[in-house]
Parts: sequence; structure tokens; C-alpha cells
Amino acid sequence: MGDWLHSLHHDEVLRFLCEGKLSTADALRLLRQTQPAGAAAKDKAAPPTTNPDALRQALAELNLLVGLQEVKGLVREILAFVEIQNRRRQEGLNTEPTVLHMIFKGNPGTGKTTVARILGKILHEMAVLPKGHLVEVERADLVGEYIGHTALKTREQVRKALGGILFIDEAYSLARGGEKDFGKEAIDTLVKAMEDHKNQFILILAGYRLEMEWFLQTNPGLRSRFPIHIDFVDYTLDELLQIAELFVAERQYKLSPGAKTKLLRILQKKVSDSEGNFGNARLVRNLLEKAIRQQAVRLVSLTRPTREELMLITAQDLEGRETL
Amino acid sequence: MKRCIIIGKPNAGKTLFTLNFAAYLGTTPLHVAFRQDNTTNWKTYRLDEAVQQLTSSKPHHTLGLQELIVTLPARKGAKRIQLIDTCGLVEGIPAEQDIRRAMAATLAAVRDAHLILHIIDASRVKAAGTVEALGEVDYQVAQFGQLRDGYLILANKIDLPEAKEGLDIIAREFAAHQVIPISALYQQGFKAVKQFVQRHI
Ligand SMILES: Nc1nc2c(ncn2[C@@H]2O[C@H](COP(=O)(O)OP(=O)(O)OP(=O)(O)O)[C@@H](O)[C@H]2O)c(=O)[nH]1
Ligand SMILES: Nc1ncnc2c1ncn2[C@@H]1O[C@H](COP(=O)(O)OP(=O)(O)OP(=O)(O)O)[C@@H](O)[C@H]1O
Ligand SMILES: [Mg+2]
Ligand SMILES: [Mg+2]
Repeated sequence: MGDWLHSLHHDEVLRFLCEGKLSTADALRLLRQTQPAGAAAKDKAAPPTTNPDALRQALAELNLLVGLQEVKGLVREILAFVEIQNRRRQEGLNTEPTVLHMIFKGNPGTGKTTVARILGKILHEMAVLPKGHLVEVERADLVGEYIGHTALKTREQVRKALGGILFIDEAYSLARGGEKDFGKEAIDTLVKAMEDHKNQFILILAGYRLEMEWFLQTNPGLRSRFPIHIDFVDYTLDELLQIAELFVAERQYKLSPGAKTKLLRILQKKVSDSEGNFGNARLVRNLLEKAIRQQAVRLVSLTRPTREELMLITAQDLEGRETL
Repeated sequence: MKRCIIIGKPNAGKTLFTLNFAAYLGTTPLHVAFRQDNTTNWKTYRLDEAVQQLTSSKPHHTLGLQELIVTLPARKGAKRIQLIDTCGLVEGIPAEQDIRRAMAATLAAVRDAHLILHIIDASRVKAAGTVEALGEVDYQVAQFGQLRDGYLILANKIDLPEAKEGLDIIAREFAAHQVIPISALYQQGFKAVKQFVQRHI
């Protein structure tokens, strides 16, 4: 493609395409390059210290998670925001403070930890976090046994998380014991750490939706520090089956059609027996881990299991007396 | 009114998606505006008639812009947007003048659209030599889309067994973009698409 083409006006690009002088791909490339200055600038100004391959990989990891469309969309919005703030900074424009502390609301096993871990990697590759690692803690890791002990323990966890993400599971349990409980001290210490170490770590508070909402309502000071709220909805049966297939495929196993049917029935039953809180992806994981062990027990007595047999999980490997 | 354009390779399922998505949003009957060479014709269809007459298993069934107005629930009441179905974008330089002209019309409309839905046939990603196969045009569309806020990739035909591998390839190749797996035929994945559109209008 000749260089002179780059000076073509938008309408001329379309005319050349029409006259058969440009391929479709070249026309698209030229149209992109003749976009208004602000938009086209995106091409040139690659973000500073990032490694595009690692970023692509982390984003692919997110993309490959089953379902979670809303979560994925929100993560992309956060990335766009970070990206644009970087650009604006480069252009000397005013920037919004990049406060990325988050609340993750959802039932156990809906992927909160998994998403947090991937997010750490992504933000690391986008040069937001120097390390991007995840420190996952719960009440017992933060709350101590005597006055002053809690602040010490909490500061220690924050220190470990500097440069990455501090992820507190079932965060509302910090407010469980009321005013006199040491949980309160942990919250105060966290709030202070957020001030003292601005932009040096991201705090994610996770837990059941209703409990988290109650927690934030009773701690209005906290609420305003967490601009990002992400809802993790329960997986549908279909998504749980896809997660199951992904899980076994990653480990070079396969589910027989019978195993799939049985798994679906087990999941269906668990879902209807419980009100949402049945374990979601974690349940799938536990069932399949057990099935993999069960398959080993079944095969070990065979003298020569075939490659196919070594890979196949059948209905009888799944727990439950039901025969198919 | 915001304009949402549907683009992609020929036969990727643009028309079937447009029609079924409009129906999914409760549009009935379907009033389609056909725009070609500076003229506009209107026609009203039931969903099954529209699918029967406007989609086809052979490529380049759609040779002009086909517009439909749909309503989406929004924070305050409802929002009307325009869905624009287009002529498929082929690799290279097609010999037929009418296809080249229709593609130019597609790209002109892309320039004015607020949202771009890029449909890729996940079942044909690796089917080199077919019009649907993943190619340079798709990568260029994605790069173009990157400049826009409302750009989304729809990996279509996931009801077909071959689509499984294709979906992984698409997720990997377009890792920097949001990809939603759909079946235009069975209206799968439409809820996520609707939410995306709602967020961007
Ligand atoms: N199995 C399956 N077939 C689909 C799906 N979407 C589209 N098709 C089929 O693919 C063929 C092409 O669909 P169209 O909607 O006409 O494709 P198009 O992109 O509008 O094609 P052009 O207008 O010719 O560029 C038709 O035979 C559709 O029935 C899908 O999700 N699953
Ligand atoms: N969308 C998904 N696709 C594939 N695997 C998933 C998905 N979501 C979760 N998993 C898998 O399910 C398991 C549980 O997920 P995770 O630990 O992230 O859930 P969680 O919401 O943090 O649960 P908890 O509150 O119990 O800690 C992990 O092994 C994870 O890899
Ligand atoms: Mg977890
Ligand atoms: Mg068509």
C-alpha cells in the first residue's frame, strides 16, 4: 500500500473501495487512520511499561471463564478508565484519581477469588499495580486476641499485599461482634492503611450480597471508599456444566454422556434443595475431584486400561447410588 | 436515536441475529427499512417470514443496509435504537461491483454508528478458503472497534459442534476485546448482548 494513501480523505477511501482499488482490510486500516485526531492517537501512544503478550494472556484468561458476562464487561470498563486516565496524564490533562477499591458481592463459588486473581495480573500488566499478587484473608487473619493485636495483624496483611490486592472474604464478619468486637479495630486499621498507602494496593471486600449491603450500610465511612461494586450472580445449570467440561478438559479427562446426565441431575437437585447457596462452581469442582479419585479406584484393578479409559469419567464415578 | 450496526463476514449470521434480536426485545411485527443506492423501501414481516426471506445459507444475501427500530428498557422509561444489518465484508477485492458498492455503504454507516456489533462465525474460524473464515478483515474491524467505546464481538453459531474450538480461538485472538458467545439461531447469549447495548446507550 503506497504511503500517499494515508493522506486520503474518508470519502475517498470509500470511493477507492467501491472502484476496486483497495481491499476491504486496507480500506478499514485507512479509515482507522483517518479517524479524528483524539481517537486515532490511541494507536501511537502505547501504554508505558506493559507487556502486551502477558496482558493478552491475562485478558484471555478472563474471557475464557464461563459466563460472568456482566463481570467481564465491568472489568473492561475499569480497564478503559485506567487507560484513558493514563492517556490524559500523558497529554497533560486533569485526571480523575484512580481509586480501584472494590466490593464483590455473590454466593460462594461464583468466581470472586478467581476474578480477583486475574484482575491483579491485568492491573499489573497495565502498570497500575507494581506486583499484582493476591493476598486472600478472612476475619481470623486480621482479628487478634487482645487490644493492639488486631492492628498489628491487619497491618501485617496489608504489608504483604502492598503492590497487589488484599482480598477479604466474608468481610462483613468484621462487623459481626458489634462495637466492642476487635473486628471494628481491623476496619479502622484498614481505613487508615488505605490513606497511608494510597495507590499502593487495592482492597477488595467480598461476601454474600445481602450481608455485604448491610455491612456497607452500617459503615457509611467505608462505603464511600469503594467506588466499584461487582455482582457475581449464580451460575445457570448450563454454565455449571460448561465449567465442569472446562475443568475436566484442563486435566485431560472427559465426561461420558452418562456422566454428564448424572452430573446435571445432581446439580439440578442441589440447586432446587438450597436457595442459591449450593456452592456453584466450587460444588462442581468438589464433585469432579471426587469423581477423578473414584475413577482411579475403578481402573486400578484393570490390568491394562486403555488411553480412552484413562481419560473417561463415567456415571458410576460420580457420587450417589443412582444407576443409569 | 442511537445507531447500532451489525457487521462481519458474509454468512456470519448478521441478518438472522438482527431479526431474532429484534424479536427477543419484543419487536413485533418487524418493520424493515431497506436502503440501497439512495432509495428506501419499507416492508413489514412476521418473524418467520423475515427469517425465511432475508436470511440464506449462501453468502451475500444482504446487499444493502437493512434497518429496524427496537425498544430497550432503560433507567427512565424506554429507549429506542436503530439496528442496522449490513452487507458482509469480504477479504481482498471482490470482482462484483454491486458487492464493492454495498461494502462501501457498510463502512460509511460504521463511521456514523454509536455501537458496533462484530459477528464472527465461530464454527468456521479455521475453515480456510470459505468466506466466513477468520481473516485480516476481522482483525482490522477489531482494531477499528478498539477506538470506540461500544464495540463488541459476537461469536456466533455456538450451537454447532465445530464452534467450540472456534470460540477458544476467538477468545485468544481477540483477548483485548469483549467476546460474547451466541447462537443467532436459538437466541442464546442474547441477555448479555442486551445488557451490553443497554450499558452503552
Ligand atoms: N446453526 C446456526 N446457523 C446459523 C446461525 N446464525 C446464522 N446461521 C445460518 O447461517 C446462514 C447465514 O445467515 P445470515 O443471517 O443470512 O447471514 P448474513 O451474515 O446476514 O449473510 P449475508 O447477508 O449474506 O452477508 C443461514 O443459513 C443461517 O440460518 C446460528 O447461530 N446457528
Ligand atoms: N466462570 C468460571 N469458569 C470456570 N471456572 C470457574 C468459574 N468460576 C469459578 N470457577 C472455578 O470454581 C472454583 C471456585 O471459584 P472461586 O474460588 O473463585 O469462587 P469464590 O466466589 O471466590 O468462592 P468462595 O466465596 O467460596 O471463596 C475455582 O476452582 C474456579 O477455578
Ligand atoms: Mg473465594
Ligand atoms: Mg444478511
